[in-house]
Amino acid sequence: MITAYVMVKASSGDVGRLKREMAAADDTVEGVSVVAGDIDYIVKLRVDGPSDVKAVAASIHEMVGIEDTRTYIAMD
Amino acid sequence: MRFVIIGAGRVGLRTARVLREEGHQVTLVELDRDRVEHARDAGFEVIHGDGSREEVLREAGIEDADGLGALTSDLNVNFAACSIAKHNRTWTVLRVDEDYREGVYQAYADEVDEVVYPERLGAIGAKNALLGGSIRAIADVAQHLQVVLMTVTEASPMRGYTIEEVQLPANATIIAFGKAEESMGLPLSDDTLAVGDRLAVLADFDVLEEARQLIVGETLAPEGGTA
Repeated sequence: MITAYVMVKASSGDVGRLKREMAAADDTVEGVSVVAGDIDYIVKLRVDGPSDVKAVAASIHEMVGIEDTRTYIAMD
Repeated sequence: MRFVIIGAGRVGLRTARVLREEGHQVTLVELDRDRVEHARDAGFEVIHGDGSREEVLREAGIEDADGLGALTSDLNVNFAACSIAKHNRTWTVLRVDEDYREGVYQAYADEVDEVVYPERLGAIGAKNALLGGSIRAIADVAQHLQVVLMTVTEASPMRGYTIEEVQLPANATIIAFGKAEESMGLPLSDDTLAVGDRLAVLADFDVLEEARQLIVGETLAPEGGTA
């Protein structure tokens, strides 16, 4: 199993909807946190392989109100 | 009162000036050396350092400040400064860099007492300038609701009518009235509209133009403007 973190920059203040949609984006989403600073959310994923990470990150990126995503794969 | 302001850029320095003019004590915290010197030349006490670090804020006197304005363009710095200040039970004001974040920080950030988005006030000023002298936005009550001060002109279709006779659109209401050169008060139904009188109107953005045409009577674009 691989743990990955998706840093999400939004373009909308609709926190309730975005949190809900990201949490429901895929079974591999373990948690969504609203964070302070130049990004708005951190999404934690638990997936089988790196290709799954890409697919989930892409589905988040495509949501209405999301400007940008950056994905980091944990090495430990 | 004593305030600490993080950021001596266009927002922080201006805020510091206004506070100083009103007799308050201000200490600025700034990372950029040129800006530090600029603010010192303007007579301010400036700490050269990173406003997101506790020892820098302590040096600026956060422990006995009445309020902290985290006004840099870096949201991470602003939020860290507010967290440290809140630990010292200081009143905190955070500048956000994008309008959608205003509501998010109001709802989620316990460390932050007030959120400011300076561009919103800049936009109101720019809008007032564009609309000309007979209409002035006073406040955005909500995203679609605002209070606007309108002045009756020669061209006003409602000139000579009473307030009771003014039929504003459904989503607009007159909340205050003042005769020319007199102070504003609550509107009375038999007040008569004459040139120079002012009305404060609470209106939904969708009907603002309709209300403006009734009370002010001019077309929106300046004459000679492109259609």
